[in-house]
Amino acid sequence: MTNALATVIIVVSLLAAAYSLWSAWRDRAMGVPHLVALGVLEVLLITQAVVGFVKLSGDEGPQSSATFVGYLLAILLIPPAGAGWGLLERSRYGPGVIVVACLAVAVMIVRMQQIWQGTNV
Amino acid sequence: MSDRPATSTRSGPGRLLVAVYALFALAAGARAGVQIGTQFSEAPVAYLLSAVAAVIYVLATVALAFGGRTSRRIAVAACSVELLGVLVVGTLSLADASAFPDATVWSGFGRGYGYVPLVLPVIGLVWLWRTSRTDGPAVAPTAEDTSPGAGSTTA
Repeated sequence: MTNALATVIIVVSLLAAAYSLWSAWRDRAMGVPHLVALGVLEVLLITQAVVGFVKLSGDEGPQSSATFVGYLLAILLIPPAGAGWGLLERSRYGPGVIVVACLAVAVMIVRMQQIWQGTNV
Repeated sequence: MSDRPATSTRSGPGRLLVAVYALFALAAGARAGVQIGTQFSEAPVAYLLSAVAAVIYVLATVALAFGGRTSRRIAVAACSVELLGVLVVGTLSLADASAFPDATVWSGFGRGYGYVPLVLPVIGLVWLWRTSRTDGPAVAPTAEDTSPGAGSTTA
């Protein structure tokens, strides 16, 4: 896990969450910008998964690698699930779902950093 | 597909609720999977509890997402068991820490998850109660026709 990539993911997810919150606030349904933001996030997460597995296969990595791999894979499900579930709701609660999804990604990345560094496991 | 009586548990704010429930189903499920797969013998009780919690979250997610009459009953049961679980496990994990050497989703009243596991079943039950009071055609159906095979009359 690289700190630079993790930081980028956290920033993107928080920006997407803020934008979605603003949409929900203005009573707008989900639109193309939300989907683009989630797409970017998903690409970053896939990159992270690849980098993570490469690093794990080298001798780097945390003690509890099973937990880390769990996070690495589970987090990939969140942007598509959020997009699908949010699109079905043509109201402000569509972007609301995206807020939940993006905040979850940010929290999970922080948790992954903790696991990687072996603190607070 | 539109003849379901009350789909209101999944629409509007309910969509958020289902999203958060799905998140916890994923979190608890992944946690239980890792714990049982790698270190089951260390703390079988705690890890089985994790698995039970995961099953209840999945059940609540699916039931709230469907929102039919039976689903509603299942959702009420799941939320109630969940509330009971988080209270009992939360209390036990603080009173007798040695019985819970490793954390579950419900340890310390869900402290590791920002106390969301404690609040979630309460919100779920309140939501189920509120949507059940407005049953009947009071809730305007969202006019989404996603049935692909509907033969169009326009030629």
